[in-house]
Amino acid sequence: MNGLNLIEDHDKFKCGMEVILKAPEFPVATTPSEVVYTDDKMRLIHYIPIVEKPHSVPVLIVYALVNRYYILDLQPDKSVIKKLLEEGFDVYVIDWGYPSGSDRYLTLDDYVNCYMNNSIDTIRERSGSDKITLLGVCQGGTFSVMYSALHPEKVKNLVTLVAPVDFDTDKGILNLWAKGLDVDRIVDYYGIVPGDFLNSGFLLLDPFRLMIDKYVGMFDRIECNPQDIACNLRNEEIIKNFLRMEKWIFDSPDQAGETFRQFMKDCYQKNLLIKNEMELNGKKINLKNITMPLLNVMAEFDHLVPNDASKPLSDAVSSTDKETLIFPTGHIGIFVGSKSQKEVCPKIAVWLKPRSFLNGKRIKNIRKNRGSKVNKK
Amino acid sequence: MVEKTQERRDQQKNNSMEKSNFESTQEFYDEWLKTYKATIGKFIEMPAVGPAREKSGKMMKGFSTFMNLYAAGMDTSSNLQTVFMEAMRKVHEKTGTEMNGEITPEKYKEFYNTWIQTYSDTFKEYSRSDHFVADMGKLNSYYIDFQQYQKDMLEENYLKPMNIPTKTEIDEINKELYLLKKAVKELTGQIKELKEKK
Repeated sequence: MNGLNLIEDHDKFKCGMEVILKAPEFPVATTPSEVVYTDDKMRLIHYIPIVEKPHSVPVLIVYALVNRYYILDLQPDKSVIKKLLEEGFDVYVIDWGYPSGSDRYLTLDDYVNCYMNNSIDTIRERSGSDKITLLGVCQGGTFSVMYSALHPEKVKNLVTLVAPVDFDTDKGILNLWAKGLDVDRIVDYYGIVPGDFLNSGFLLLDPFRLMIDKYVGMFDRIECNPQDIACNLRNEEIIKNFLRMEKWIFDSPDQAGETFRQFMKDCYQKNLLIKNEMELNGKKINLKNITMPLLNVMAEFDHLVPNDASKPLSDAVSSTDKETLIFPTGHIGIFVGSKSQKEVCPKIAVWLKPRSFLNGKRIKNIRKNRGSKVNKK
Repeated sequence: MVEKTQERRDQQKNNSMEKSNFESTQEFYDEWLKTYKATIGKFIEMPAVGPAREKSGKMMKGFSTFMNLYAAGMDTSSNLQTVFMEAMRKVHEKTGTEMNGEITPEKYKEFYNTWIQTYSDTFKEYSRSDHFVADMGKLNSYYIDFQQYQKDMLEENYLKPMNIPTKTEIDEINKELYLLKKAVKELTGQIKELKEKK
């Protein structure tokens, strides 16, 4: 029996290695799309709608500067973007690209009031809709909150997904670490803050799991029955999916120094955003200017953006139509976990659909009793 | 740096995570640092004199920068060792009797699971402490100081004499370029607005 287990473990490793040695291709971001606007290194990607008449209000997804947007379209059967297309939305995504030395002076103002604003104007022009739905993810959610406060006239709905706004919490380990960081020293030296520098921080969150157990787990999931074609195909999928995630995790763009400086100091260290004291290019960001419908989505076991960092948004805005959803999953699981496809995306779609009509044409299904509501799924 | 290290040692005595630590290693290390500071350290920080004082002053500063990094590195590493000792002690507690007798593959697996869980939990607990935050912040800052020093020396001693553009000079151009691009974008936007008004 014991001998058999040992052989089984060895076989799993062997089968897994056989698949890896074949160097399988593992494409990411495969949902058909087109680039409709570029500005410096930023690209605005439009996904080809798959329904004849998409909802009138287009959706712009804004992802974080750390890591890449394609976590939302990692593989065909785990794609937030594909799911939104199936639900009938007209979807755009901002790809921030890879900043290089010449981008070290880009500021948060450039990202929010230039790149985001120009992208949104492009979408408005293309779609004929005066307003768009902003779906901000993680740091992109924080950017979306800033944008919505500064340009509320262009935002029909605001959806934030695991987005931090209140950084003064000891629940998140990043929040604790950020306080001890000499941000000026880092930015002054690097100029462009290396993605690897940030990645090593993320690995330190749980080094034993992330640098050892994850790889052991990959082989552990392998089934060993070389005669069974279906089993071999499953193994190939396990390895491919693992490699896709691995690619995404270590595909970390460098950070424009001045943007990193302001984000870390104003948000993580001084927590100015939630106090309505943060400024972009001299203009104060007042969250009370956010009056559009708001859906605030969180992951219950989020180790990077604790719920305490996201929840306060609902109370900080003036919106009367607002809802909070909390799913029992983690920060990444909310995009790629099984719950993402089965629960998160459908719930977002259900909330968005009745709010995705142009003025005067909607609104059959919105709850009559508007107000704040917290749903724990 | 040295005084702060001693201060921290005292604080550590009240921290349960630090109880099973490498006290003798730390004591040796503290003594070594004190001796360094009192002897070579003083000599190095002495003001430079003579025709090459500028250059030698800068080089000596580099030595201090390196020593700060070294001290921070030793400090971090000895603290981490203490944490890992604590984790090892916990693993031993959990698996001590189970690992007696024949070591079967199942036992290996159980041991692995206990090991990874215990090390992960212990490190996570430590990584949330103010102690760890201060340690990492300091190590990171001294590392950057040292890198900065090396960069400055490279620029001054090699790139400038060979008339090769330095990062500092390239950054100046990048800044000009950034400001110009920003101005062009603003003006383009204004022209577009004016055209639309017509």
